[in-house]
Amino acid sequence: MAFGNLTEDQLDALKEISNIGMGHAATALSQMIGDTVLLRVPKVTVTEIAEVPDFLGGAENLVVGVTLKVLGDARGRILLIFPTDSARRLISGLLAQPEESGDLSDLGISTLKEVGNILASAYLNALGSLLHLTLIPSIPLLAHDMAGAVVDSVLIELSEVGDLALMVETEFHGRGPRAAAVKGHFFLLPDPSSLELILDVVGGKA
Amino acid sequence: MTERQRVGIAEISIARAPGLLVAYGLGSCLGIALYDYQQNLGGLAHTLLPAPHGKEVVARKAKFVATAIESMVQDLCGLGAGSERLTAKIVGGANMFEPLQPAVRDGIGSRNIMAAREALAEMQIPLVAEDVGGNFGRTMEFDLDTGQVRVRTIRGGTRLTIL
Repeated sequence: MAFGNLTEDQLDALKEISNIGMGHAATALSQMIGDTVLLRVPKVTVTEIAEVPDFLGGAENLVVGVTLKVLGDARGRILLIFPTDSARRLISGLLAQPEESGDLSDLGISTLKEVGNILASAYLNALGSLLHLTLIPSIPLLAHDMAGAVVDSVLIELSEVGDLALMVETEFHGRGPRAAAVKGHFFLLPDPSSLELILDVVGGKA
Repeated sequence: MTERQRVGIAEISIARAPGLLVAYGLGSCLGIALYDYQQNLGGLAHTLLPAPHGKEVVARKAKFVATAIESMVQDLCGLGAGSERLTAKIVGGANMFEPLQPAVRDGIGSRNIMAAREALAEMQIPLVAEDVGGNFGRTMEFDLDTGQVRVRTIRGGTRLTIL
């Protein structure tokens, strides 16, 4: 399966299942921070791997990335990207204590990894029960650095099999004065062989 | 004003003085600069992986360390560089996330660094400076006027290293 050959119907099918999965993840997040989390309808794009950092505000933008491997019936990667100020607000909100500027605290780091874990698990659970696939997240890993550097490590694995990445991307943000600024990007990056499997199950095969 | 040219992932750019070639946000990726100090002519590659699998035909030479170096040397020599005058500087090859299965194999970053050292040695291009490894991202600026490479890191406060 080449990412470049996906039909409109197949992209729609991927968008729909991601919408449901992301909905679950957003519910989990809003329960954690005790406030509504709004979600944008996911964008499904096939893009040159080289262009992914541009979607994140430029390669030098300082971000926090949490990544998990997807294991089980289908394989791939999940990548969550938070702008640094949003990551800090999220930590402060969850721990009820301010997160200092500069490097993230150890407690802050493990809090964000846990957030990543919960979001990814909610997403994969929804996806798995919808598609009757067993999908298991690996333990989360975190990096706080330039966007380009954070994503290239994740994309390198994909690039061993091709030059294109399928991105299921959504943005979530809070409502009201307090949570207004927690923003993030959620990417699902399936392996090409797993994408074929997902499309097979979803019936979007051309 | 010096022209600043961005070198994206899996790209190679060749330029003459006055000019600046920049690879932003290198993580595990490896930036490879080759320079002919007499001609003030050089190239910068932003590579992802050490080498292609087996005998696969490589459409994008800049994606792999080994093929990128070869291709740059060819292009530079085509423009009048002397292969005996070329020197190399490499930047990047970090491991941004701690490995999931430690000790199974080296990370991609380390393998990229090894591949570059080997390929350069084989082609007898002296590796005159490097800023590689670690677990942080780097931006690499290659000044064609002087052959100087400036490395910027932002994790834990902005720092500038001159190679």
